[in-house]
Amino acid sequence: MTRPTYRSAVVLTFAIAALTISSLRAQTPSTERRDPIPKGSIPKDTGNSLDVWHPNRPATEAEHQVAKWGPRGLPSPGYVFFAEKVLPITAPPIENGVVVTRNGVIEAIGRAKDIAVPDGYEVVDCGDAWLVPGFIEPHCHIASASFDLNDTVHPTNPEFRTLDLITLEHDQMQMARAGGVSTALYIPGSGSNMGGFGTLTKTWGRSPDEALVRFPGSLKIAQAGNPERASGDLGAGMMGMSDGIRSTLLDGKRYHDAYLAFQQGKGEKPKFDPTLELLRGLYLHEFPLSVHTQIYQVVLQTLQELRLELGLWTVVVHGEFDAFRMRQEMREAGLPIAAGPRVYHFDTRYNEISGLMADWYWDGEDGWRDQVKGVGRDGIGVNTDSPVVPQEQLTLQAAMGVRLGLPHEVGLRALTINNARFLGIDHRVGSLDVGKDADLGVWSGDPLDPRSHVKLFVVNGTICYRRNPARPAW
Amino acid sequence: MRLPILASLVALLLLSPDLTAQRRGRFNRGGQGEGGGSPAAEQPAAPQATDGKPKKHTAITGGDVYLGTGQRITGATVLIGDDKILAVGHKIELPEGTTVIDAKGKTVCPGFVCVYGAGMGQGRGTPWIDSCNPFDPEIKQGLAAGVTSFLAGAPRGGNSPAGDAAVVKLAWGKVEDMVLQEGTVLGMNAQLPAGEREKFRDLVKQAKEHRRAQEDFLAKKSEDPTAKPPKAPAGTEKILDILSGKSKLWLQLGGGGFNPFGGGRTGAGSDLDAIRSAMQIAAELGTGVVLVKPLSAWLCADEIAATDSMVILSPRDRVPADPADPDRTGSNLASAALCNQAGIPLAVTCPVGMFGGAGVGTNGLLGMDLNTPTVDAAFAVRGGMTSSQALRTLTLDAAKILGVDHRIGSLEAGKDADILILDGDPMHYRTFVEVAIVNGRVVYELANEPLYSRIHR
Repeated sequence: MTRPTYRSAVVLTFAIAALTISSLRAQTPSTERRDPIPKGSIPKDTGNSLDVWHPNRPATEAEHQVAKWGPRGLPSPGYVFFAEKVLPITAPPIENGVVVTRNGVIEAIGRAKDIAVPDGYEVVDCGDAWLVPGFIEPHCHIASASFDLNDTVHPTNPEFRTLDLITLEHDQMQMARAGGVSTALYIPGSGSNMGGFGTLTKTWGRSPDEALVRFPGSLKIAQAGNPERASGDLGAGMMGMSDGIRSTLLDGKRYHDAYLAFQQGKGEKPKFDPTLELLRGLYLHEFPLSVHTQIYQVVLQTLQELRLELGLWTVVVHGEFDAFRMRQEMREAGLPIAAGPRVYHFDTRYNEISGLMADWYWDGEDGWRDQVKGVGRDGIGVNTDSPVVPQEQLTLQAAMGVRLGLPHEVGLRALTINNARFLGIDHRVGSLDVGKDADLGVWSGDPLDPRSHVKLFVVNGTICYRRNPARPAW
Repeated sequence: MRLPILASLVALLLLSPDLTAQRRGRFNRGGQGEGGGSPAAEQPAAPQATDGKPKKHTAITGGDVYLGTGQRITGATVLIGDDKILAVGHKIELPEGTTVIDAKGKTVCPGFVCVYGAGMGQGRGTPWIDSCNPFDPEIKQGLAAGVTSFLAGAPRGGNSPAGDAAVVKLAWGKVEDMVLQEGTVLGMNAQLPAGEREKFRDLVKQAKEHRRAQEDFLAKKSEDPTAKPPKAPAGTEKILDILSGKSKLWLQLGGGGFNPFGGGRTGAGSDLDAIRSAMQIAAELGTGVVLVKPLSAWLCADEIAATDSMVILSPRDRVPADPADPDRTGSNLASAALCNQAGIPLAVTCPVGMFGGAGVGTNGLLGMDLNTPTVDAAFAVRGGMTSSQALRTLTLDAAKILGVDHRIGSLEAGKDADILILDGDPMHYRTFVEVAIVNGRVVYELANEPLYSRIHR
C-alpha cells in the first residue's frame, strides 16, 4: 500500500507557481464593488444540454468497467397520478397533468385530457397538489447506523467505501423520503483529505442492492476546512494536504496506466491492489470526485490540481462562503457547484448580504445564467450536508437561495436535474420524463415553501410514504 | 515621536468603548441563572407628551393589516401618535400635519417579538440599559428580519425562580427606548431534587400567606392608621412577583435532546414526567407557567391548557419515537397545531443546535436563526396551524409569554407603535420587511439600507 510522501516536490513547485498566478487573476475582480443584480428574464430551457457530463465518459451504463449500476425496471404496480400541477422541470409546468408509472419507470406524462388511463392501472388523484420529481441530495452522510462519518486512519483513505453502510430504515433516510428526497449521494465525511468512495442510492428500496443507483457515486475529497484535524503529521497545512491527495491520485493513475497497457496487450496484468482498483474508475471518467472545498482559494486548488492538472471529472459540493468568486474560471474548466448549507454570504466591506446561489446565477457577465455544457445554469446545485443540517430540510436550503435572489425555477432545478446532471445520473433521475425512474413527490403546494409538505412519495414506482396528518413525520 | 503614540492612545481610548459595545451583545450575555442580581429596577414610563396630546402623527394607510390577534383588516389605516398606536381601522380621520406612509399593496403587521434572542445591541445584564448599544449593526439586521423586540438573557433552569432577563427593543439610535422591561421572566427547572421541591412548596405557601396578610393590611389600613404592613418572608420575593403577575415563570424540562450523529437513538424520547411536574407547580402557584420546548406537549395539550400555561416550541425540533420502547414517544410536527387547538398561547423559536442560533449574526446558516423568524412559524403551519394562527406565535402570544402583552404584540390602540410594512404575506419565505417602525420611529427601510441591496427582487 502506497502512502503519500514528499517525493512529488517538483509537481508541487509547479503547482504553487500556477496557483500564485491564478490567485492574482482571481482576486482582481473581487476587489471591485459588485454591481446590483440586474433584473432580467430567465433564459428558456433549450432542452437537455448534455447527455453525459464528462467528454470522455463511457456513453452507456454497460461500458462502465469499475462503477456498478443498480438495477432498473423492478416490478412496481401501474399507477396513474393526476395532479393540478405537474412540474417536469425540464419542460414547462403542466396544469391538470398526469403521470403514468409502472415497473419503476415513467411510462407517460402529459395533460389529463390527452392521456387515457391504461387497463389495470390504479388511479391516484392528488387533487390540487404539486407533482414534482424526487429531489437529489448531492452531499450527505445520512445512511449509516451510527457515528460513521469519518475514519481518519490515514491522511488519504481510498480503501474506504460507504457502500456497506447503507441502512434504508435509518432515521435520516426515512426523513429524506418525508422531505421529498429520493436519491442521495452518501459520502464519507471530510475529516481526512480523501474520505473514501461515496454511494449513490435511492432513499427507499426493498434492499440496499435494489436501492443502488451507482457505486462509486463519487470519490470524496476534502481539500481544506476540515481535514486539517486528520491523523499523522501530514495534512496539517495546505502543502502537505495537496501533496497527499495528489500522490494518492497519481498512484491510482499509475495503476490505471498499467491496467490500460495490459488491456492493449502491451504489458502484464498489474497485481490486484484493492486500494487502487476503484481509483481506476476516475481515470475512465466513470464517476466524479466530489470535493469538499469552501473558500475560493481552495476552490482554485480544486480547479488547478484535480480538474486541470489531473483532468478528472470534478464536482464541488458544499461550495460555500465566497467560492462564487471563481465562477468564471470554473465555467471555463467545467466545474459545477452544489452550494449549501450556508446559503448566504455577508460582505463586510459593504454591509451587504448576498445569496450564494444567486451570486452564482446572477453576478455580472460571469453569472451562470446560460446553459453551458456541464456548468452554467445546469451547474448550480444545492445540498444539506446532513446530518449537519437535517436531511428533511434540503428544500429549505433551496428556498433560502430563492429568498436571496435565485429564480424560483432555478431553485427547483438545483434540487433535481442540475444535481443529477453533474453527478452523471440524469439519464435515470432528475426530471419527469418518459423512461426515467418513477421517483415522484406529491406536495401540498410549492415544495420550496416551508409550509408545504409531502403528501405522498414514490420511489422506483412504489408508494413508500404517505403522510399521517395526525402525526406527520415532516 | 511621542505625539503619534499619544495620539494613538487617545484614539484607542475613544474607540474602545464602542468596540466592546459591538462585541458584548454576542459574547457576554452575562448574569444568567441563579442569583440573578438586584430586584428589577423601577421601570421608566413610556415617554409621553407633556400636555397629554401627541405631538407627531404618522399614518400607515391602505395596507393589508394583520392585527397580530389573528384578525386581518384590508385597506385599513394605522394611526400613530408619537410612540403609540392611536387607532386601527377604516375611515380614521387624520389630524392635520399627519405624515402619511402609503402601504397600498403592502402588508402591515406588528413587529415580531422573539422569545429568544442574542446580540442586537442587548447589553450585558441588569440594569440592561447601561450597556445597550443602540448603534450595533446587528440591530439593523434584526429589524430587516422583522424583529422589533426580544428577550435578552433568557433564563435557564435552577432550583428556585431566578433570572436576569430583559425585553429589549430594537430602537436603533435611541438608547432610552431600548429596554422595554426587566424582570418579566424568571426561570426554574420543572423537576427539582426532593429537598428543593419541598422548599419551593413551602415558599409558595408562605408567599400566598403573605399576600393574604397584605390584603388584610390594606383593608385594615383605612380603619387603623397605625397598622403595620406585613414583611415578606425571606426568599419569597421572586415567587411574589410570579403570583402578582409581574413575572412569568419559565420551566425548563431538561430532556428530549436529539443527537442526529447518534443514529437517531439518543435523547430522552419523552418529557411527559417533566411536563406533569410543571403542571403540579402551576397548580400550586395558581398561575400559569411557561413550558420551554416541551417535547411531549402533543400528548397532553388539554392538561397544559387547563392550568392556563403557555408553551414555547421549536416546531422543527425532532426526536424520533423508539419503536422498541413505548415510553419514548418522540416529537410531533403537529405539536404546535395541537397546542393551538387546545387554546394554549404559543411562541416559536429556532432550534438551538450546531448552527441554529438565537441571534441574527452573519455567519450562520440562513433559515436556522433569527434572520428568518417566520421560517419557524412556517414549520408550525406545516404541522397543521393556519398562517394567521402562526403569526400570533411571533406577535401577541410571544408578548404574552414575555409578560409584556400590555405594551407590544398587536396593533391595538394604546400599544407601542412597533410596526412592520412587508412586501407580501408575512408567513411567506420570500417576503421582505420594507419598513420597520419602533416606538413610532422609522428605524429601518429596505430601500435605504445596504443590507439587502443586492437581492434581485
